[in-house]
Amino acid sequence: MAPPPIVQQKSSSPSQPSGKSEVSDLKLQLRQLAGSRAPGADDSKRDLFKRVISYMTVGIDVSAAFSEMVMCSATSDIVLKKMCYLYVGNYARCHPDLALLTINFLQKDCRDVDPMIRGLALRSLCSLRVPNLVEYLVSPLSSGLEDGSPYVRMVAVLGVLKLYHISATTCFDSDFPASLKNLMLTDSDAQVVANCLFVLQEIWNLEANKSEEANRERETLLSKQTIYYLLNRIKEFNEWAQCLILELISKYIPSDSNDIFDIMNLLEDRLQHANGAVVLATIKVFLHLTMSMTDVHQQVYERLKAPLLTLVGSGSSEQSYAVLSHLHLLVMRAPMLFSSDYKHFYCQFSDPSYIKKLKLEMLTAIANESNTYEIVTELCEYAGNVDVPIARESIRAVGKIALQQYDVNAIVDRLLQFLEMEKDYVTAETLVLVKDLLRKYPQWSHDCIAVVGNISSKNVQEPKAKAALIWMLGEYSKDMPDAPYILENLIENWDDENAAEVRLHLLTAAMKCFLKRPPETQKALGAALAAGVADSHQDVHDRALLYYRLLQYDVSVAERVVNPPKQAVSVFADLQSSEVKDRIFDEFNTLSVVYQKPSYMFTDKEHRGPFEFSEEIGNLSLDQESMDNAPRFDESDKDLLLGTSEREENGGTSINGAATPGYSAPHDYNSSLVPLSSQTQSEPAVTSQTSFAIDDLLGLSMLAAPEPPSLKLNSKAALDPGTFQRKWGQLGVSISQEIPISPQGVGSLTTPQALIRHMQANSIHCIASGGQSPNFKFFLFAQKDDGSASFFLVECIVNTSSAKAQVKVKADDASASEAFFALFQSALSKFGM
Amino acid sequence: MPVAASAIYFLNLRGDVLINRLYRDDVGGNMVDAFRIHIMQTKELGTCPVRQIGGCSFLYMRISNVYIVIVVSGNANVACAFKFVVEAVALFKSYFGGAFDEDAIRNNFVLIYELLDEIMDFGYPQNLSPEILKLYITQEGVRSPFSSKPSDKPVPNATLQVTGAVGWRREGLMYKKNEVFLDIVESVNLLMSSKGSVLRCDVTGKILMKCFLSGMPDLKLGLNDKIGLEKESQIKSRPIKSGKTIELDDVTFHQCVNLTRFNSEKTVSFVPPDGEFELMKYRITEGVNLPFRVLPTIKELGRTRMEVNVKVKSVFGAKMFALGVVVKVPVPKQTAKTSFQVTSGRAKYNASIDCLVWKLCIYTRIRKFPGQTESTMSAEVELISTMVEKKSWTRPPIQMEFQVPMFTASGLRVRFLKVWEKSGYNTVEWVRYITKAGSYEIRC
Repeated sequence: MAPPPIVQQKSSSPSQPSGKSEVSDLKLQLRQLAGSRAPGADDSKRDLFKRVISYMTVGIDVSAAFSEMVMCSATSDIVLKKMCYLYVGNYARCHPDLALLTINFLQKDCRDVDPMIRGLALRSLCSLRVPNLVEYLVSPLSSGLEDGSPYVRMVAVLGVLKLYHISATTCFDSDFPASLKNLMLTDSDAQVVANCLFVLQEIWNLEANKSEEANRERETLLSKQTIYYLLNRIKEFNEWAQCLILELISKYIPSDSNDIFDIMNLLEDRLQHANGAVVLATIKVFLHLTMSMTDVHQQVYERLKAPLLTLVGSGSSEQSYAVLSHLHLLVMRAPMLFSSDYKHFYCQFSDPSYIKKLKLEMLTAIANESNTYEIVTELCEYAGNVDVPIARESIRAVGKIALQQYDVNAIVDRLLQFLEMEKDYVTAETLVLVKDLLRKYPQWSHDCIAVVGNISSKNVQEPKAKAALIWMLGEYSKDMPDAPYILENLIENWDDENAAEVRLHLLTAAMKCFLKRPPETQKALGAALAAGVADSHQDVHDRALLYYRLLQYDVSVAERVVNPPKQAVSVFADLQSSEVKDRIFDEFNTLSVVYQKPSYMFTDKEHRGPFEFSEEIGNLSLDQESMDNAPRFDESDKDLLLGTSEREENGGTSINGAATPGYSAPHDYNSSLVPLSSQTQSEPAVTSQTSFAIDDLLGLSMLAAPEPPSLKLNSKAALDPGTFQRKWGQLGVSISQEIPISPQGVGSLTTPQALIRHMQANSIHCIASGGQSPNFKFFLFAQKDDGSASFFLVECIVNTSSAKAQVKVKADDASASEAFFALFQSALSKFGM
Repeated sequence: MPVAASAIYFLNLRGDVLINRLYRDDVGGNMVDAFRIHIMQTKELGTCPVRQIGGCSFLYMRISNVYIVIVVSGNANVACAFKFVVEAVALFKSYFGGAFDEDAIRNNFVLIYELLDEIMDFGYPQNLSPEILKLYITQEGVRSPFSSKPSDKPVPNATLQVTGAVGWRREGLMYKKNEVFLDIVESVNLLMSSKGSVLRCDVTGKILMKCFLSGMPDLKLGLNDKIGLEKESQIKSRPIKSGKTIELDDVTFHQCVNLTRFNSEKTVSFVPPDGEFELMKYRITEGVNLPFRVLPTIKELGRTRMEVNVKVKSVFGAKMFALGVVVKVPVPKQTAKTSFQVTSGRAKYNASIDCLVWKLCIYTRIRKFPGQTESTMSAEVELISTMVEKKSWTRPPIQMEFQVPMFTASGLRVRFLKVWEKSGYNTVEWVRYITKAGSYEIRC
C-alpha cells in the first residue's frame, strides 16, 4: 500500500497546493474519475480516496467533496466501497441533505448478492445517524435480520440498536426488540446471539425507568431459562461475548444452592481462560453467586487467588493495573485470606508507580502478627526509593501498620530511624506519623520526643509536617526543654508562614505551652495572639480571638478547653463507609473498582469533579482571539442564572452572594460555602487593626457588606520591578483568597502568556510570571485611574489540575483593595470564555 | 464490554491523531483535545492508565511510539478494554508483519480503518481472530471470498467461520511435511535482599507452538507436572516414576484447549490453530532453580570513592551454557571516573542509565557462559564531590539479564506430544527450552 501523503497544513511546497485549494483540487480529480471505466481508474480512485481519508483523520474538513465522493462510489472494488462508507458515515450527520444522496446506492448495496457487501452497506446505512432518514432504515433492517448469512444478521442486530438511538419510537413500532429476542433464543450463530444480547440489554436498561413492560423484559433476560440457554452454549461464543454473558449471569438470582453449584461447575474451567477479562468476569459470577453462603464464599476466595495472581503477572502493566485494582478490592474485603501471599505484593523496581501504590496499600492491609516483620522490612526498603511519592507512600504504610498492630515496639524504632535519614520528605512524612502514633499510644512519648526534639524546625517545610511538629511541641512542652523557645522562633516568622493550618496549630501550641510553662511562654503567646487577630485568614483570626477572650475570662476555663485530659485514640475513622464499599463490590469488573468509588459518583452529572466540560467541550478552542472577543453580556446572564439557582438551594444566604458585586460564577453549585467565602473579602482589611478593635470587629455586621465604590483602573499603568519588589515588601496582605477557575480557562492556560494577555485587556499588568503546567505563578499590578499613584499588587498562583487560583492582594490604599479584588475576580472568571 | 466504547484514537507521542474512529455520539467530537490537554501535556501522563475527565473515562496504553486511547462514557469493563487493545494490536501486527509503530500505522491506515470497522461495531467488540479476519480482509484489498468465481477454492462456510464456533482453524489445510515446533519459554523473576535471602521468586512460563499440520489434527501434550502424573498413575494404576514432578500454581490455556478434558483427565488436548500461537501460560513459585547467584559488595569509601565487587556464579549444569549475560550495577549520578578489573567479559560505565554495565559474554572466545563457573568484577568509582546530591542516592537494585537454552528454571519437561489425524500421517516434533531473566533484581 502506498503511504498516504504526509499532511502538513502549513507547508506549501510548489508542487502541492495547500489548504482549501487542495480540497478543490481533490474535487476536480474525483469528478474526472467519476464516470471513468478505464482500466486503472480504480487504482487512481483508491489513491484519491486515501488522501481524502487521511485529511479527514487529521481533522481537515473535506466535506466539500461529498457529492463527488458519492459519484465515485459506484464501484465493485470493496476497499473503495469501505473507504467511501467511512467517509459518508463521518460527514452525513453534518450534511443531512447530502446524506440523502447516499441512500440510493446504500440501499442498492443492501440487496447485493455478496453477503459481505450487504453487511457493509447495512452497517453504513445505520451509521448515517440522520433522524429524517429513519424511514429508509426499517425495511433493510427487517430483511437483514432474516438474511441467510450470519454476517448480515450480526450487522443488522447492532443496526437495531443504532436505530434505537436515533429514533426509539421507530424501533418499537417496527417491533424489532421482539424479533431480536426471538433471534437470540433460536439463531445458530453465536455472534448473532451475542449481539442480540448486547442490544437487548442496552435497550431495556435505558427503557427500564420509563415503562413497566421494559422492566419485565429486562427481568426475562435474567430468567433461569435464558441464563441456562446461554450457559450451555458458552463455549461457542468468542471471548468478548463470553464476558458479556458472564456479566449477565452475575446478576442472576439463583433459586437454590443446587442452582449455584451447577453454574459454578459449568463455569469452573473459564478460570483457566487465557483472556484475563473472561477470568475476571467469571470471578464476578462466583463472588456474587455465593454472597449468601459464607463458608462457600470463603472457599471461592481461595479458589480465585491463583488465577488472579497469575493475571497480575502477565500482560502489560495497564492490564495488571486493571487486575490489581480488583485484587485490591478483594484484599480489602478479606485481608486475612491473603496474609500468606504477601510476597506477591512486593514491588518490583520497574513497576510503574500506579501499580506500586496499589501494592503498598495491599501490603498494609494484610499485615498481621505473623508477617508484620517481613512486610515492614520490605516497606522500609522503599522509603529510600527514587520515586518520591512512592517513598512517602511507603512511610505512611509503615505508620498505618503501626496503628493496626499491638506490638509497635519495633516499628516505632524504625520510624525513628527514618528521621535520621535526613531527607526532607522522609522527615516530613515521619513526623506526621509519629504524631498519629502518639495520639494512639501516648506511652511511647518519651522515646519519640527525645528524637523529635532534635529535629530543627528549619528542615521541616511541608505544612502537614510542620503542623505535626508544632502539635507535638505544644502537647509535650513539659518534656521538651526547648519547646517554648522553638515556638517563639516560629511565631516570630508568622508572616512567612503561608499555610493557615500551620498558623492554627501555632496558636494552639502556644496556648498549651503557656498553660504548662507560663513564664517562659507569655511573650510568645502575646505575639502569637496579636499576629493571629491580625491574620487575614478567617479561621486563624477567629481562633486567636477565641483564645484571647478565654484568657480574659478565666485562665482555668481556658485550660479546660485547650488542654483537657486526653484519651488515646483507639480507632481512626475509616475513610469509606461500608455501604460505599458494598456498592463498589456490586460493580465488580468495571471502572468503579479502578476509581474506588461507586459508579453514580462519576457517571451522574452532579457528582462530577471540577473538570466538567463535556458539554462545553465544543467551545474548547485554543484560539486566543475569539476568547478575548467573547461578548460581555454572556457573563451577566450567567450571574443572573446562578443567582436564581443559588436562591433555590441556599435560601436566604444567597441574597448576600448575589448582592456582592463582581461575584463570579462559582464552580460547585452545590457548595453552600461559596457565598460565605465571598463574604470574607467583603470584610475591611484587618492589617491595621490592633487588639482594642476586637469589639468593633465583632460588632461589624457580617451580612451588610458595603457596596464598594466603582473602581477604574489605569490601562497604561507602569511600574518597574524594583519598585514592585519594594512595595511588596512594605505592604501587608489585605486580601488572600482562593478562587476557582473555569474549565475553559484551565484549558486555555497552556502557557502563562495566555493569561497575561487576557489580564492586560482588563488593565491588570504582569510584572513577572513563570511555572509549568499544572502550576503557574504570576505577579500582577494595577493602578487606580484617578490620578493618585495608588497601586494594587497581586500574587496569583494558578493550579490547573485543581482549577483553583490562590490570590494575594496588597494595596497602597487598603480600603479600595476589596473593590479591586472583585474586579480581578471577574476578569479572571472571564478568562477562556 | 457491558458498556460500549465510544471512540478509539491512535496518537503519536506529540499528540497528532493518526487514527480516529468514533463509534458513538455520546461523547464530544474533540475528546482528543481533552486527552491532549489534561493528560498528554501534564505530568499525569503515565501516572495512571485510567483517567476521568468530564463525564468520560480515558483508558490509554502506550505501545512503542503510539498511544491508543479508548474513550467510554459509562461504567465500562476496564480489563476487557485493555485486553481488547492488546488483542487489536496483535491483530494489526499480524497484518503488518511485525512492527506496530507510527510509521506502520501511517502506511496502513486504510487497512486499520477496515479492521476497526470489523472488530468493533457500535462500541461492542466483535471478532478479533486474525485467522478469520484474514479470510475476508486481505492486505491487498482483493475482493471478498463470497464474490469470487465458483471455480475458486471452496469457501462455502466462510461466513460461518467469520462468526462461528471453531474459530481458530480452517479446514482443508495441506502440508507436504507435517511439523510441530514447541518452545517452552520461562522467565525467572527474582528479588533478593542485600543479605542474600530470597524475598520473592517465581517463574512465569509459556509454551509457544508452531504448527504446520494438514487436516484437522488432534494433539495431546504430556508434561511432568504433578497433577497430570498423579492422574495418569491413577488411571494406569502404576506408581509414578521417580524423577522430578512440578507443581504448577496456575495455568491458562489458549481457547483451542479442551478445558473440560483438562479438568477431568488432566491432559492437555487440542485442535491447534494453523501457524504460531501461545498454547498455555503457567506460573510456579515452589522449587525454582535459580540459574545464577550474584554476590555484590559495595563499599563507600569517604564521600568521593566507591568500591564495587560483584561475583556471578552460574549454578546450572556444567554441560549447559548461558548467552547474553549482562549485569547492571547502578551508581550515583555524579560518577566521574571508573576503573574495572574483570575475570571475563568487559565492563564499562554507561552514563545515560547511571550504571556499570558488565557484559560477561563478549570478548570471550566462545561468547558463552558455561555452567558451574564463576566470574568477578571489581570496580573503583570516583565521584564528583558535591554536598547535596550524595545523600539523595538510594541504591537501586542490581539487575541481571541472561538466557539459558535447554534449561528450565521450573524443571518442567515435555514428556510426550502425540498427534492424531484421520489420514494418519507422520509428524516431526521439535522441542526447545529456554530460560530468560524476567526481573532479576538483587538489592545491594
